[in-house]
Amino acid sequence: MIGIEQIGVYIPKKRLSNLDLRDKFQIDEDFVKNKIGVVSRSLKAPDEKASDLCIKAFEDLQSKVSFSLEEIQCCVVVTQNPDYNVPHVSAIVHGVIGLSEQCACFDISLGCSGYVYGLSIVTAFMQANGMEKGVLFTADPYSEIIDEEDKNTVLIFGDAATATLLDVNADLTPLGYDFGSKGAGYKNLINEGKLSMNGRAVFNFTATSVPISINVLLNKLELNKEDIDRWYFHQGSKYIIDTITRRLGLDKEKVVFDMYEYGNTVSSSIPILLSNDLAALHKGEKIGLSGFGVGLSWASAIFKKN
Amino acid sequence: MSDVTVEQVISVIGKSNITKDGSMLSPDKPLSEQGVDSLDISGLLLTLEEDFKIAIPDEDIDALQTINDIVSYMNSKS
Repeated sequence: MIGIEQIGVYIPKKRLSNLDLRDKFQIDEDFVKNKIGVVSRSLKAPDEKASDLCIKAFEDLQSKVSFSLEEIQCCVVVTQNPDYNVPHVSAIVHGVIGLSEQCACFDISLGCSGYVYGLSIVTAFMQANGMEKGVLFTADPYSEIIDEEDKNTVLIFGDAATATLLDVNADLTPLGYDFGSKGAGYKNLINEGKLSMNGRAVFNFTATSVPISINVLLNKLELNKEDIDRWYFHQGSKYIIDTITRRLGLDKEKVVFDMYEYGNTVSSSIPILLSNDLAALHKGEKIGLSGFGVGLSWASAIFKKN
Repeated sequence: MSDVTVEQVISVIGKSNITKDGSMLSPDKPLSEQGVDSLDISGLLLTLEEDFKIAIPDEDIDALQTINDIVSYMNSKS
């Protein structure tokens, strides 16, 4: 079965401090650290585009696992901040990396739910077409659309990219997924020249929809929450992760949180966390993933280490 | 819905993701002046909506500065 083999990550080194914005937005250190959970935000160079971030994540992937470029049969990028409206970012990445002309390329337009959606889409695409190796990229450089004066968004988002190698012989494979959308709320997180967010509406959406999604998925798979060894939620903010953890009644020790030093990296947040833990997963362990946000949409999955 | 009391709202504050001990809050002082931040307020409003099965529109929120404001508002909705 096709699963996750390895994950490459690129987080730009440059940081912007949220502590420097305390006076401007009348917030204190406790709020920055314990509510937002973002002390500093990663920032790409002005001339770096989504494709550049993907290529650096791919270089990291190549440093972690051995494979030849000719083996890659599909190249898929999740982004809503592409280099251009035309062409798709995956074509640019394909050309720069030098992948085979037989390699399929397409983009997926999703935000924070995009990685989990992408895992399902790409593994199904590979399965349907007899492919053995593919790469799923995430790269959504929100620094290009952030309004520096908007307290609701400027303190949260950071730039990053990931490259996940999906392989027919990988041993971290999906048990099942749950997807959903509340399209009536699309205006609550929208880019109309600059990003704007109705924080309360997005919070309500997340706090109510994600626990339901997780419970639906666990029921479908006849699993209990105690059967899951680690939870990887989209790192929206510390407050939202704490809220989901509390409302689901999860063991805090099983819920991964790490965005203090780079921020909410949109579709890259889950694979960044997962990349740190891949080698430590033991045979038989199960992990839960859930991405949620733009759309408003969500996607949850349970994976098992075989 | 029977009349909502200060004690019921404080109980909801305890259920919300607010770190402050609800019983230590003064009912007639703005919550924002008692260490309750904007994210806490979002959590509190959601729990109020769920527990009392009402919708609190965004335009009503500015009027909900204190626990007493919330009690009056909830009772006006019943």
